[in-house]
Amino acid sequence: MAWGGFQTTCIKIPLNPPFSKGEAVVFISGGNCRTHDCSGVFDRNFSVDAFLINLLNGLSWGMLLFLISMGLTTVFGVMGVLNFAHGSLFMLGAYVCLQLMRWSGSFWIGLLLGPPVVAALSVFIERFLLRPLYGRDTGFQLLLTFGIMLFLDDGVRIIWGPAYHVVNPPVMLAGVVHIFSQTYPVYRIFLVILGPLVGIALWAFFTFTRWGKILRAAAMDRQMAEIIGVRVPMLFTAVFAFGAWLAALGGALAAPHQSVGPAMGERIIIESFIVVVIGGMGSFPGAFIGAIILGLLNSFGTTLMPNIQMALPYILLTVILLTRPKGLFGGET
Amino acid sequence: MMKKGIVICCVLLFGLMMAGSGIASEKPVKIGFVYIMSGPFATYGQFAKQGAELAIDELNKAGGINGRKIEAMFEDSTGKPDVGIRVIRKLVYENEVDIVMGIDSSGVASAVAPVMNELKTPLIITHAATPDVTGDKCNRYTFRISLNENQNMAMAAAVATELKAKTWTTAGPDYSFGYQSWEYFQKYLSKKKPDAQFLPTSEVAFSPSATTDFSSFISKVMNSKADGVLISLWGGNLIDFVRQAGDMGFFDGKREVLLTLGAATEVLYALKEKMPEGLWVGTRYWFQANDTPINKAFVDAYFKRYAVYPSYNAHGAYAAVKAYAAAAGKANSVDKEKVIDALEGLSLELPVGKITIRAEDHQAVTDGVWGKTASDPGMPIRILKPIKFFPGKDITPPVDETGCHMKK
Repeated sequence: MAWGGFQTTCIKIPLNPPFSKGEAVVFISGGNCRTHDCSGVFDRNFSVDAFLINLLNGLSWGMLLFLISMGLTTVFGVMGVLNFAHGSLFMLGAYVCLQLMRWSGSFWIGLLLGPPVVAALSVFIERFLLRPLYGRDTGFQLLLTFGIMLFLDDGVRIIWGPAYHVVNPPVMLAGVVHIFSQTYPVYRIFLVILGPLVGIALWAFFTFTRWGKILRAAAMDRQMAEIIGVRVPMLFTAVFAFGAWLAALGGALAAPHQSVGPAMGERIIIESFIVVVIGGMGSFPGAFIGAIILGLLNSFGTTLMPNIQMALPYILLTVILLTRPKGLFGGET
Repeated sequence: MMKKGIVICCVLLFGLMMAGSGIASEKPVKIGFVYIMSGPFATYGQFAKQGAELAIDELNKAGGINGRKIEAMFEDSTGKPDVGIRVIRKLVYENEVDIVMGIDSSGVASAVAPVMNELKTPLIITHAATPDVTGDKCNRYTFRISLNENQNMAMAAAVATELKAKTWTTAGPDYSFGYQSWEYFQKYLSKKKPDAQFLPTSEVAFSPSATTDFSSFISKVMNSKADGVLISLWGGNLIDFVRQAGDMGFFDGKREVLLTLGAATEVLYALKEKMPEGLWVGTRYWFQANDTPINKAFVDAYFKRYAVYPSYNAHGAYAAVKAYAAAAGKANSVDKEKVIDALEGLSLELPVGKITIRAEDHQAVTDGVWGKTASDPGMPIRILKPIKFFPGKDITPPVDETGCHMKK
């Protein structure tokens, strides 16, 4: 694992009664760590259930990250646009879902209809704001998307106010499951399962469908795609809307997982950028692997090395940039 | 058509000029407010603004300050020290305010306190709790009307002494406020209960302010051997934490939980029934804590106007405006230096109770409240029951312990 290089980490695993009595020791990286000689800050009693729960914590956050990064990386890969407003679209997705829930009383309606609403808004953004800038320096695009971000953030505050809104998960996902001695919310497990499903659906879309192939072709060589008759402007609109749809889907899914508030996009967008760089700009498997790595760094980092937990994503980013500047899956599309 | 439009415009303009001249006959007293108006703590700014506006309208209806109307200006500190300094400079130099009030974040408070010295303008802090600004960073221009962390942790320790928990840990924000809360809590609790144990810093949970997924921090606390948890998170962080912790079975009765800023109505309104019952929560002001006529009038007026119960932050802003009016009345002037002299040692009755602003360190000696969360069918939010009331003099450390050396 990525943190192995920094410090020897030694985990004692007391095995719970159903298995056997006693302790097992896991070495996360090499070092002279004996069963009863694990002194120092990194020594933790780490039970199987604690390990599992950390795993689930990391994966559920990782899956949200994946949805956001996926949109970010698609828009970048095909259009070459680095969309700063992506986090705001995530936030908007959560608010629209919340509003639809209030009207209809059902989370599922919010989840199904909310993201298309945000996608429709982003069609407008692409068509009338971004399109005039394609010929110009990328700096203009950055400035524009940054401006859109500020606009959306304040817009949300004016419409829904600065207060936090707590959204209940749908009844069928509201309970908890027992994991050994602890309980864990079903909704988070739902996220952990849903993430790979969305990933597989997207992969199938890109691999087997005509539209998916056109998208990949345009991402590889925009000019050539145009020459053989792909209507690139329309394609760009579609791709931008698709990215926004993914972001909003992430936001709608995040609503019952955290709470809906004005700053909810801030943290996730920074980490999504890291995911995209780690995985490789424009790479789909990269976004998936990168999101899982970052999610797990978050959860295990908090428990095992709290002092540098905040810095871990950035350390990883630096290492990747120095050793593989194109990212783990860079160069493949 | 055209002519009619011009006539209407003229009438309107004339009306405006008349109205303008009415106000302009006497220059208004200007108060600049600096709160967090955006991001995860923005609700605090909203409540504070409501409290300030209520106080100003009440005063203006009664003739203003020394016969002059009061005008308010609000700025967003965004919770960042550099922005806080910038907007205060703007308020003082550009808007020429007579006094600055507010400040939510301890980080911002520590940064702006020394600047007030340079701007020669009084600042009344109404929320930020860092002991520094009335401790070793104290100065002639900086006052605080709300409780500080020292006082709040003295209360937390008093509550904790009576609980069964033996080993304590903390979940707090990963900046000075979280660390200082934990430090003072340990200091006060080990005095009262020498056998209390505290987990080392590497095993407690400090989360960055931008965190929205607290699961790993919650798991960390749940998997530690602590049976008591001091939670100093606030604002959106606290809402997210309580919400997610509830889902993860954190409040299963296996640990005692103290929320040092949990009785903020901003948080209680967001969480509603998601706020578990039976948690100990602290606050600088609780709207049901006393029955004085002045408190009843405040709560009724506030509820009538905004349809919510006032939070401690709303009260802080309200209190600062009222204290300023009292000081300006006492000095019979809004001259900055004269107001400062009047604020020093000022005693007045506020909805929270009687407060005294100490001349030596400019910290208000004010009562505090802790209580246990409980449900009440007649209330939209959790209430406190029982309520523990702490008189200001019992929880405020003596001046020589604060580290404040005021330069005259």
